[in-house]
Amino acid sequence: MTDDLARARALLRTGGIVTLVALLGAAGVYCLALNFTPTEASQGLAQKIFYIHVPAAWGTLVAFSLCGLASAAYLFLLDPRLDRFAASSAEVGLAFAAVMLTTGPIWGRPIWGTYWDWDPRLTLTLLTFFLFLGYGALRSALHDPGERARFSAVIGIMALVLVPFIHLSVYLFRTIHPKPVVLRPEGPALPFEMLRTLLVSVGVFTLLYIGLVTMRYALGIARDHAEADAGGRDG
Amino acid sequence: MVETPQNGGYMAAAYIVAAVIYLTYSVTLWLRARRAVRPPV
Repeated sequence: MTDDLARARALLRTGGIVTLVALLGAAGVYCLALNFTPTEASQGLAQKIFYIHVPAAWGTLVAFSLCGLASAAYLFLLDPRLDRFAASSAEVGLAFAAVMLTTGPIWGRPIWGTYWDWDPRLTLTLLTFFLFLGYGALRSALHDPGERARFSAVIGIMALVLVPFIHLSVYLFRTIHPKPVVLRPEGPALPFEMLRTLLVSVGVFTLLYIGLVTMRYALGIARDHAEADAGGRDG
Repeated sequence: MVETPQNGGYMAAAYIVAAVIYLTYSVTLWLRARRAVRPPV
């Protein structure tokens, strides 16, 4: 059992280092975006919100997708590591979603003239955010590990179904949200300096996701260890 | 000729909010995990 704690400590150390490197990288992204990337003429400086909003959206969709996939795999394999990873990815995804859902409206105010619009993409994203808040609340409320893993896996899979709709909502519905400027069949529609800053930012925030999930996974191991320990004493 | 709007305040606000969320979450996660992995005394 102490092996579990030793493994958690090693993972926490690795995750901490990766997170620290990613946060320093994020400071570099701020510097790159503010000082070495041209200002878009029609939107002004508010356009630079793009370099933190898009990577946050990317991190959110990756986190929620991986949570859903791990949840589906858990229901087949019943491996607690998959449940632990799903829970870690969901929690980190909520942090990224919080950034996405705050920076988006801050950009919307000067560009659209309003902080919020009940547009399909914004509404679906908000619903998914609430779904994952519910996922976290459900996990906290259930004390039996098997039951907790099974029930939360079902929510994780339901949320996974929403992810493609969020991505494709700008094509499927009439929406004021801008369409993708990088992932499109005709190729990226950005000048080189802007594309470079965006890709660096996506890379740095993907690294931040990896670091945070590793730390959260270490926390999951330690919690499972404490639960098993308490169960052993009770039983 | 397009006149570039003066909206740098929104950009600063978004960058500060993002930094606060990421830093707060990273630090609190680190503290929670460090407390949890401490060996029992």
